[in-house]
Amino acid sequence: MPVSHRKRPLRRAAFLSIAALLIVAPAGAAQAADSSVAALQAPTESTSSPESATFRIATSGFVDSFNPFVSIYLTPTNILRYVYEYLVQNDAEDGSPTKGLADSWETEDGTTWTYTLQDDLKWSDDEPITAEDVVYTYTQMMEVPELAVANGNLVTNFESVEAPDEKTVVITLKGPQATNPGLEIPVVPKHIWEAIDSPSEFVNDADVVGSGPYLLESYEANQQITLKANPNFWMGEPAVKRIQYVYYTNSDAQVQALRSGEVDFVSGLTPTQYDALEGTDGVTVHSGEGRRYHSFSLNVGLITRDGVPYGSGNEALKDVEVRQALRLGTDTKTLLDKVLDGQGVQATSFIPTSFSKWTLPADDDVIVEYDPEAAKQKLDDAGWVVGADGVREKGGVKLELRLLVDAEDIQEVSIAEYFVPWMEEIGVKINVESTDSDTISAKAVSGDYDIYFSGWSVNPDPDYQLGINLCTTLPTGTDGSGGTSQDGYCSPEFDALYEEQRAELDESKRQEIVHEMLALNYTDTAQIGTWYANSLEAYRSDRFTGFTLQPKDGGIIASQAGYWGFLTMEPVDAASADGGDGAPVGMIVVGVVAGVLIIGIVVFLLLRRRRSADIE
Amino acid sequence: MSAMMPSTGAVILEEEGLDEPPRRVSGVRYLLGKLGGAAVSMVMVILLGFFAFRILPGDPVASITRERQLNADQVAQLRQQMGLDKPLWQQLGDYLVNVATLSFGESYVYKTSVASLIGDYFWNTILLTGTSAILAIALGLWLGQRAGWNHGSLFDKITSGTSLVLWSVPTFWLGLILLMVFGGTLHWFPTGGMLSPDPPTDPIGLVGDVVAHMVLPVITMVAVVYAQYVMVMRASVMEEKSADYLTTARAKGLREDLVRRRHAVPNALLPAVTLVFMHIGGLIAGAVTVETVFSWPGLGKLTYEAITGPDLPLLQGTFVVFSAIIIAMNLIADVVYRFLDPRVRQA
Repeated sequence: MPVSHRKRPLRRAAFLSIAALLIVAPAGAAQAADSSVAALQAPTESTSSPESATFRIATSGFVDSFNPFVSIYLTPTNILRYVYEYLVQNDAEDGSPTKGLADSWETEDGTTWTYTLQDDLKWSDDEPITAEDVVYTYTQMMEVPELAVANGNLVTNFESVEAPDEKTVVITLKGPQATNPGLEIPVVPKHIWEAIDSPSEFVNDADVVGSGPYLLESYEANQQITLKANPNFWMGEPAVKRIQYVYYTNSDAQVQALRSGEVDFVSGLTPTQYDALEGTDGVTVHSGEGRRYHSFSLNVGLITRDGVPYGSGNEALKDVEVRQALRLGTDTKTLLDKVLDGQGVQATSFIPTSFSKWTLPADDDVIVEYDPEAAKQKLDDAGWVVGADGVREKGGVKLELRLLVDAEDIQEVSIAEYFVPWMEEIGVKINVESTDSDTISAKAVSGDYDIYFSGWSVNPDPDYQLGINLCTTLPTGTDGSGGTSQDGYCSPEFDALYEEQRAELDESKRQEIVHEMLALNYTDTAQIGTWYANSLEAYRSDRFTGFTLQPKDGGIIASQAGYWGFLTMEPVDAASADGGDGAPVGMIVVGVVAGVLIIGIVVFLLLRRRRSADIE
Repeated sequence: MSAMMPSTGAVILEEEGLDEPPRRVSGVRYLLGKLGGAAVSMVMVILLGFFAFRILPGDPVASITRERQLNADQVAQLRQQMGLDKPLWQQLGDYLVNVATLSFGESYVYKTSVASLIGDYFWNTILLTGTSAILAIALGLWLGQRAGWNHGSLFDKITSGTSLVLWSVPTFWLGLILLMVFGGTLHWFPTGGMLSPDPPTDPIGLVGDVVAHMVLPVITMVAVVYAQYVMVMRASVMEEKSADYLTTARAKGLREDLVRRRHAVPNALLPAVTLVFMHIGGLIAGAVTVETVFSWPGLGKLTYEAITGPDLPLLQGTFVVFSAIIIAMNLIADVVYRFLDPRVRQA
């Protein structure tokens, strides 16, 4: 009798483990099946190549598809930069046009552009790359609306694209443009794509035939994206044979993965994470001049393209003097130092300093410094008198403005904490409306704000960014629909200059016009630029080296307007890289878990035996 | 008293015999009632799934194309693709058809059918939450009955104390701490995902790899969840402990140990069983946090990303599926409880 009692716990333990297995096994089997497929897809070379030859990047980015005609998310778009070469590439130095598929190009009036392709270009499947591929790609975007989703804005000015011979592409535009039309459009292989029934629905996520330095090898949603080096790339096969994007939902996990060596590269760090990683063995942190700007967007009194006012912006902000007073009363230097930990550059306009050619120089005449006294003077002059409670008023109306703040964005919350007292000092009452980002974007579209925070990533050529600040990009509907306007800004003078720069082929003259436009926009104060944030990145410098920055001097590695960042990297030394994650850890863990289980059962049995003995 | 407090199989049999004819009828009615309730809940959920997410602020197209260089034509093209240019009633019609065919439409972000996405991620969530649930239930019930039996002892104090402390710890925080200590600093376990980027190809290595990735999320989930089982089981055992039938059992000369295991625990298990079923639904929904911290590719993570998208069809799909699981589990809990506990049958 006592014997059977002692056995019972063991039986129960066995029963429990069987139950656990029953639940776990089908799922495990399903997974195993999945991964064996993945294993089949991965060529055996991956096992023979040293661990150090795979460069792993932590990501949390969405992937809609790897179809260059329709993909609009940042992660696939950045990856496609590596997979498909453009006719003309943004160079590493400062983003200006440089050799891509095209060796050279010429235009006389900016309306007809003639490109000559490089010799002996080959797709990754060894087919030759010809002018026909370029014509096919561009024409698809011009003719099929579903294929214009991703880059349709780049071909709106295209009249026709022709290939007089295998190596020549002629683009005829509707009107002259200074921006090279061969930029930013991924050229796809005609022989692959024309065989697809419905190209807009093609996901293009495995064994991709491309022309860039890396090819998309496989993709498993939310797990990994694998790229392999393209031996046919015109600059030669990259030294690192594989790049793998590994998914981490939150950025703290990404930092931990870098520390433990599971990944080799992390970007988008917060200043706190950056500081924490600094000094970690084998890790190098990098603060690069980014291509983003950040600003306070002011409601200048929104109107539709037909001049119908909409939204609920404060009347006071329609007065440019009031807007300028707000700028004078905002200490962007302090914001940069305190909120961004100095990791960036004070903003002047909406073109970041990393595009040094186009950005509004910090010493331009129009730039004003933080000067609360001057701000007060301006408000006095505009007729806003300080009331008994310190808040200015005019005609019985108090100067109160709503500031929309994304409660989840620590930077916005911190900026507001500085901004509110600064405004109080000059007699402006700020009512902070803390909410979520979706509400803010909805209110921004419908014009129900006085001030909200805005930001963009900007391309090397300023045309697009200038182009969304025109009267012609204002919304068509009073609900804010039908437009792409940035701040609801509209100035006929600015528009005239826009047309002028767009057709100006002399770069230095164009540069002057762009500066003039930015200065005009600055004076009109449709927004108050806060900063051009640095991009904070970190990588395993004990394993990889040789990244090319863009701009070359102090720029960024990932998210470039080009493929230079990972193109030139190489393993530090195959011998020193011990790798060691993956299987061994798994085996150790199985051992540990099994050990703990066995010890647990033994202890349990012993305790029971003792207790039973006590009772008996 | 014994009729009110059935304790042995004999008593239950006896009662079944007594109540046989009326129970059948009321049993069917009971079941139909519960089924009807579940069906009504499900209809509400389906309708809510449509309207709740339409009331949410923000335009999906505006959010998805935020910071993307597009012109107005491209935006209009996207609206059309997503069916957002249609009138609301037509969108509702499409949605209902999608739900009825169990396809839930096409995800805005993943460009694939929501049903297939949920199908892909469902088993990953079951693997994680199933393992956690089994461990939490086993640990919780065992500790709970021990603590309840030795109420007031040092063991009881330690068990109740630690489980309550862990219960009140935020899941996200606990997960992140474990991640930092055992992942980032000690490198004992991987910091996220379900498989290594290059998983081992042999079956044992593969299972080991998955187990390695499971350790931290499972510990997090178990730690936060097991307390409720401890508390229910403890209370339940304490209640049974003073019951008359245990005195009878003791009087038969049974050892204290056997009295507890053979008589007290089976009866005390009743409330716990319902709780288990009710919580399994909640546990799957609660996977959102743990899956987000540990980048586990399951339904929780999918939901989290659908919210940040925002990916309306996917959100609706996961919402309906999560709700269906919870409703089904509650239904099972009701039915099982009635089956197990004659007191409910009589009521």
